[in-house]
Amino acid sequence: MSATDLVDISDPGGEPAPTADAPAKIAGRTPMQLALRRLRKDKLAIISAVFIVLLILVAIFAPVITAVIGHGPNVQFPNTGLDAFGTPVGPGKHFLFGTDELGRDVLSRVIYGARVSLAIGIGATLISLIIGMVVGIFAGFYGGPVDTFLSRFMDLLLSFPFLLLAIALVARFGPSFQLVLYLLAFFGWPAIGRLVRGQVLALKEREFVEAARSLGSNNLRIMFVDILPNLLPLAVVYSTLLVPINIVAEATLSFLGLGVQLPTASWGGMISESQNGSLYQVAWWLLVFPSIALFLVTLAFNLLGDGLRDALDPRSGRSQLGK
Amino acid sequence: MSTVTAPAGPTVHPAGDNLLEITDLVKHFPIKSGSLLGRTVGQVRAVDGVTLSVRRGRTLGLVGESGCGKSTLARVVTALQPATSGSIKLNGTELTTLRSGQMRGLRRQVQMVFQDPYGSLNPRRRVGSILGEPYAIHDGPKGKDRQQAVQQLLERVGLSSDHYNRFPTEFSGGQRQRLGIARALALRPELVVCDEPVSALDVSIQAQVLNLLEDLQDEFGLTYLFIAHDLSVVRHVSDEVAVMYLGKIVERGPVESLYSRPRHPYTNALLSAVPDPSAAAQRGTSTRIVLTGDVPSPAAPPSGCRFHTRCPKAQDLCSQEEPLLRPTPEDPEHVFACHYPVAAGEPLSIGTWSESAQAAVPRRAPSPARTSITKNREGSA
Ligand SMILES: Nc1ncnc2c1ncn2[C@@H]1O[C@H](COP(=O)(O)OP(=O)(O)OP(=O)(O)O)[C@@H](O)[C@H]1O
Ligand SMILES: [Mg+2]
Repeated sequence: MSATDLVDISDPGGEPAPTADAPAKIAGRTPMQLALRRLRKDKLAIISAVFIVLLILVAIFAPVITAVIGHGPNVQFPNTGLDAFGTPVGPGKHFLFGTDELGRDVLSRVIYGARVSLAIGIGATLISLIIGMVVGIFAGFYGGPVDTFLSRFMDLLLSFPFLLLAIALVARFGPSFQLVLYLLAFFGWPAIGRLVRGQVLALKEREFVEAARSLGSNNLRIMFVDILPNLLPLAVVYSTLLVPINIVAEATLSFLGLGVQLPTASWGGMISESQNGSLYQVAWWLLVFPSIALFLVTLAFNLLGDGLRDALDPRSGRSQLGK
Repeated sequence: MSTVTAPAGPTVHPAGDNLLEITDLVKHFPIKSGSLLGRTVGQVRAVDGVTLSVRRGRTLGLVGESGCGKSTLARVVTALQPATSGSIKLNGTELTTLRSGQMRGLRRQVQMVFQDPYGSLNPRRRVGSILGEPYAIHDGPKGKDRQQAVQQLLERVGLSSDHYNRFPTEFSGGQRQRLGIARALALRPELVVCDEPVSALDVSIQAQVLNLLEDLQDEFGLTYLFIAHDLSVVRHVSDEVAVMYLGKIVERGPVESLYSRPRHPYTNALLSAVPDPSAAAQRGTSTRIVLTGDVPSPAAPPSGCRFHTRCPKAQDLCSQEEPLLRPTPEDPEHVFACHYPVAAGEPLSIGTWSESAQAAVPRRAPSPARTSITKNREGSA
């Protein structure tokens, strides 16, 4: 009964399934399930994740929320928002976070600032991730001159003076949301690329790659069907840690006037405004609320990233010390 | 004393009956110097002139110590690595000169079962996706049909169709090896190269996997090139066995003949390590010969006979002249490469070669001077 079409076998033939390692019960769990179980034990990471999700919702529904509050982010309230001397009013029942020197609601502006921070933080990270993964996979997989060329290029970008280029580009094209996004994406990917390259160097020696090749997989299929899924845990962790870096960088650029332009609310821009004429000395809320927002979001992403790293690779890092 | 089983009339097969014919196959790996330019400073002669053939529907066992080039041979035969020189013919088609376009067809005919049941299955893909991959690559059945085909494969190798959505990490070593076998079978190949398919498994599970391989062979008319590092595993599955040492075949023959009357001292030593009382009784001894010293580097193999540095019977000639494969008088199919072969029925148990005596020799000193063999052993038989 040789050369029967294997696809058409319905009867496994006389011999019953073997016993000792028979597939009766399997107690194992998928890598993802295991990771999620470990993550669930990490309280800080869970709180951070909840916070981030809430913040994303707030950013998405900012127009709705500010409509409910009744104060648009750029609406000036010369009567209620400024006192008799024209100085901002502090936190109170009317303006929860107080107002700024133009009589605008700080709470509404912080909420709208979250949109800018998250959009740029997450957006730039995603772009970096895609470029970094593709370049890293090619460099690691092909090795040789391809690797040498791509690795040198990544090293070059990593050693590039970021601020200098930012200033030069802003001088040439004028500051804008898009410029900041692309600038951060462009400087973010080499770090991911190098990390991915290192992983791929190890992964491509694994026997499953050889198995794929013996089945007839071509290089592209091996790189993106076999190797890529093995990079995802690393990618998830690293992107979670790259988001806060990008958020802070965006705030820095906006603070320096190189980023998102007024009157669009951004946390960096608000902090910068509070410095004007040392306004924060009389109106501390102008400095404190955007700073706290920036701090909390950075902290949350970092804690979540650490938690994910520990959950996906329990051998590394914090969790061992903690328990 | 062993009763020498006379080989039951060598069944001479016509050449056309060989599915796989390997001739003078050489695979060298260049050793690059550390510098960036990477000058080649030497060659690792992993496979150095191997001639073998495997009959259709039969199993050739390939045995040798770690590092002797078995996996390299397997990789070259499965076209995972290009040959340095020599010829590999499958069904009469020369494989070493195939262009990449023609390679796809070859992939369907030659498949491999890998040694490491953990490393050879992608941990991030589900069983359904791993076993469906051959169909995805070769325009096989799609969608529901593919799922059905994969589930049939699963059942055929003794797993359950419910395992379709599991990850490899959820399986035991033996089950994983079944997955590896199922994957190799998906394209209905003619030749399956099994590279130490059971070495990583518990002894209790080894037999089950070997039985499965034998059943599948009968059912699908598969031809196996079966690699192992000890002779006991291949004995039960092979029709013919080839013994490899440092990139060369030192002895090859039908199982019966080779196990009952090994001619090469290396085969002899490997056989003595087989924990099989009946085999030992057949050879008239139960003494273990422990090979001392490490396998010399394949980058600088010894002159003459490559085994002479560790051979109990080595003489001057052995280091000077390379012995060629020659047939035994009893069976032209049984060939060996040795100047001073183990004589038929020669007892192996001479005090010097008992386990205890050998244990005294330091592990890392394969000195030729050590071979204080009693000269008259040759004539004793
Ligand atoms: N890609 C490679 N580059 C350089 N040397 C290699 C390569 N692959 C194998 N070798 C060398 O070739 C020799 C034979 O290796 P091979 O893996 O074929 O041995 P093996 O008989 O399969 O051993 P094992 O029983 O350990 O699997 C070894 O010395 C090894 O170091
Ligand atoms: Mg091997």
